[in-house]
Amino acid sequence: MIARAFGAMGTVVSLRLDGASDSFDADAATAAVADAFARWEQSCSLYDTGSELSRIGRGELALLDAGDDVRGAYEIASAWRSRTGGAFTPHRGDGLIDLNGVVKALAIAESGSALDRLGLLRWGIDAGGDVLVGGGAVGTAAGAWRVGIVDPADRGELIAAIDLAGSHGRMAVATSGSAERGDHIWTQPDASPIFAQVSVAAGDILTADVLATAIVAGGRTALEEFTERFPIDVLAVLVDGSLMATPGWPREPAGCRA
Amino acid sequence: MRPRALLLASAASATVIIAGWQLGTLGAVTAPVAQGGSQTVGTTRSTDAATSDPGTADAGTSSDSNAAIDSTSGASDASQATSSTDGTYAGSTVGTRFGDVQVQVTISGGAIADVTALQLTDHDRRSVMISNQAAPILREEVLQAQAASVSMVGGATYTSEAYLQSLQAALDQAGF
Amino acid sequence: MAFLVHDSRDLERRSRPVAGDERARSSKRLWRIDLLQAALAASVAIAIALFLADGGGARFATPGAATTSLGIIAGLVATDLVIVMLVLAARVPLIERAVGHDAAMALHGRLGKPVMYLLVAHGALLLAGYTISDGIDLVAEAVTIWSLPDIPLAVIGFALFALVVVTSLIAVRRRLRYESWYLIHLLVYGAVLAALPHQFSVGGLFAEGTWQRWYWLAMCAAAFAAVLVYRVGAPIVLSVRHRLVVDRVERLDHGVFSIVMRGLDLDGLHATGGQFFIWRFMARGQWWQAHPYSLSAHPRNAELRITVRALGTGSADLAGIRPGTRVALEGPYGIFSEASRSRRRIALIAAGIGVTPIRSLLESASFRPGEATVVLRTPAANDGWLLDEIRSLARSRGATIITIPGPRGATGWVTDAAAAEGLSLATLVPDLPDTDVYVCGPRAWSDAVIADARANGLKPEQIHHERFDW
Repeated sequence: MIARAFGAMGTVVSLRLDGASDSFDADAATAAVADAFARWEQSCSLYDTGSELSRIGRGELALLDAGDDVRGAYEIASAWRSRTGGAFTPHRGDGLIDLNGVVKALAIAESGSALDRLGLLRWGIDAGGDVLVGGGAVGTAAGAWRVGIVDPADRGELIAAIDLAGSHGRMAVATSGSAERGDHIWTQPDASPIFAQVSVAAGDILTADVLATAIVAGGRTALEEFTERFPIDVLAVLVDGSLMATPGWPREPAGCRA
Repeated sequence: MRPRALLLASAASATVIIAGWQLGTLGAVTAPVAQGGSQTVGTTRSTDAATSDPGTADAGTSSDSNAAIDSTSGASDASQATSSTDGTYAGSTVGTRFGDVQVQVTISGGAIADVTALQLTDHDRRSVMISNQAAPILREEVLQAQAASVSMVGGATYTSEAYLQSLQAALDQAGF
Repeated sequence: MAFLVHDSRDLERRSRPVAGDERARSSKRLWRIDLLQAALAASVAIAIALFLADGGGARFATPGAATTSLGIIAGLVATDLVIVMLVLAARVPLIERAVGHDAAMALHGRLGKPVMYLLVAHGALLLAGYTISDGIDLVAEAVTIWSLPDIPLAVIGFALFALVVVTSLIAVRRRLRYESWYLIHLLVYGAVLAALPHQFSVGGLFAEGTWQRWYWLAMCAAAFAAVLVYRVGAPIVLSVRHRLVVDRVERLDHGVFSIVMRGLDLDGLHATGGQFFIWRFMARGQWWQAHPYSLSAHPRNAELRITVRALGTGSADLAGIRPGTRVALEGPYGIFSEASRSRRRIALIAAGIGVTPIRSLLESASFRPGEATVVLRTPAANDGWLLDEIRSLARSRGATIITIPGPRGATGWVTDAAAAEGLSLATLVPDLPDTDVYVCGPRAWSDAVIADARANGLKPEQIHHERFDW
């Protein structure tokens, strides 16, 4: 297992790569992932003032005239907005279109496809705390991953762990919280946040990312609704430090319970 | 029943049953679904030819007419298939009392490696879902892990600066 | 010993051209019957096919899934048969004209027990199947299923249906007054309505968006519509249009009397001899009783006539019906009439009050002189209700009348004396194999006549039987 890391989108992307043979090209794989992130950042990042999205924000470019990446990402974000009843939205309070909520996930997903195409046995991408795994060995015992979840109160400790690529169909886990930069979380104005951090495990990174954001923004009703409507597992850390988890979120093995 | 009635009845019944069976098998294994593709909603995105395209939405078909809806959040949709038959396929639909569950089949090395059940969203279908409500839980009850026993760490996004002090950085440097 | 009351056998003219259109009409009717039966079978097959079309054929891999799938199929077939039962009881003209009210209701009755078994299997198999699949214990599974939407309602529907079926078992029904039994039977509509919602909300086969849902909805709607139109609407329309009123009551004998009714546009009823109506006399204490009685004469001179024998309190009260009483009617029903003819010749066999439809058939059936034979079982030689009318009809139409007076025979349908003389259908009715035999009388006696006819090689479509005891 080879580990690599590089900076992108204002955070750090960590990779775990395991090739089919000893001579697989880890550098090529890393480069493919870096390319994907760079491309998305170039078109859709608000942090890059030259990106298409920034230009749209300044009014220099019409959305309709933008490239496929931006328009596609916007469509996806809008679709999720209607699906989550507005809890997740690319529209900032001041009207600016902020696609950060989907762009990172899209970049991760595209990187994953690239790694699949390269034929890796096992790969894992951790982009600033959002994790996606995959590879040819998915589903076998060797292909399972255990991913830790950071305690929002103490970033040096783990509060829980979750299995990915096992028999539950979870391939990705994304975490959203008030501890993060908080760009794309537009909480309902009159609701004070009840969740300090929400981790969502799902079959794909986009769903996990969007719903994690939506639940933090939407609070308890969002948690109830989305756990029912979507096949996800959720671990939520409330602002008072207590935890809530869906039935499918892994528990300690039975021996520890009464 | 008179013989002729019996004949008519048998012929009609057999035809109907066979037709139903055929319709049912149509909704079985469909196009390959590559894991990790992004999900679009019924829109076709043309992208750079060079890189992969999170492409057309191909809802894993079940035999109901709403094949076009954004079916599962879990199943990513038909992107490029890898050249081998390995991959994840939207499989047959399984009926439970809570509605239909679409099975996702993962093929690895040419053999079925995993079969998971994805629940169709109830966006357009009013099926009753297995209760997936989150409930309070004690810290001791969630699966615990030491930093040494995981390969990656998930959490709220950290900046590049914050990364340096993060658990993930420690794992990366250890070269896991 | 038999009496030849009127002999027309020599009137027959052998030079009759090719067989009349009785065969053609009969053949068409038989086709309709076969198609209806095939449609019934097909509807059950469709119910199963709906499940298969949803991919159900693949859900037999594990024991739990297989059990569950069987349970679902049991429920689908049961509901389809319930719909069939509703349609059979709705008195739809298409079915009426093909098999007649009796046969339709007989099938309706026969379907009750199988449906019950299927419903019980439905519940048991599903409970077992889900228990196996979910891996929890039976009680927990039952609780889970109970908490699903519409399931408690469906269980209530099942209980109502069970009540209806149990009270319809012969053993139980005999002990109930007809009115009580009828009121309980009406509950079946409630049972069906209560059981419908869970079919659309649980399980996903008929969930929103599936085409199966539309088919199922349409089927249920059509069944209820048929009941509404033909059992509720048509009688109302009929009664309003024809404004039937009792004209007079004629006493024939001790406990036997005729009620003659007058109305408008009676030709529009399209009733012929042999058919029956369901009569409701709008008098105090009478209006809620529905009487099925055959016409005892072909509708004529804007008059309808029934002849009744007082056998129970209901019919005895009718003797006191006053002229001027309004009458509501439903019908005409029954294929004990010209509609079911299949041969040139016709034999009318009656005993007791069964003579009523026989007498009206004699009036309206089509036959040439010498081709009709009437055989009457009477208590004594010149006894017999309506015998005078029958005799004059025979004279004018050229039919042969034979009476066989005497007490019930030990076996067979003739008296012991007549049996000793070798009298039977074959010797009484000329050219029996080419004859339509119409039988009306007490059940056991009718069965003996029918057995005699079958023994002589008559096909089922040649034998017509009017039952008075449903």
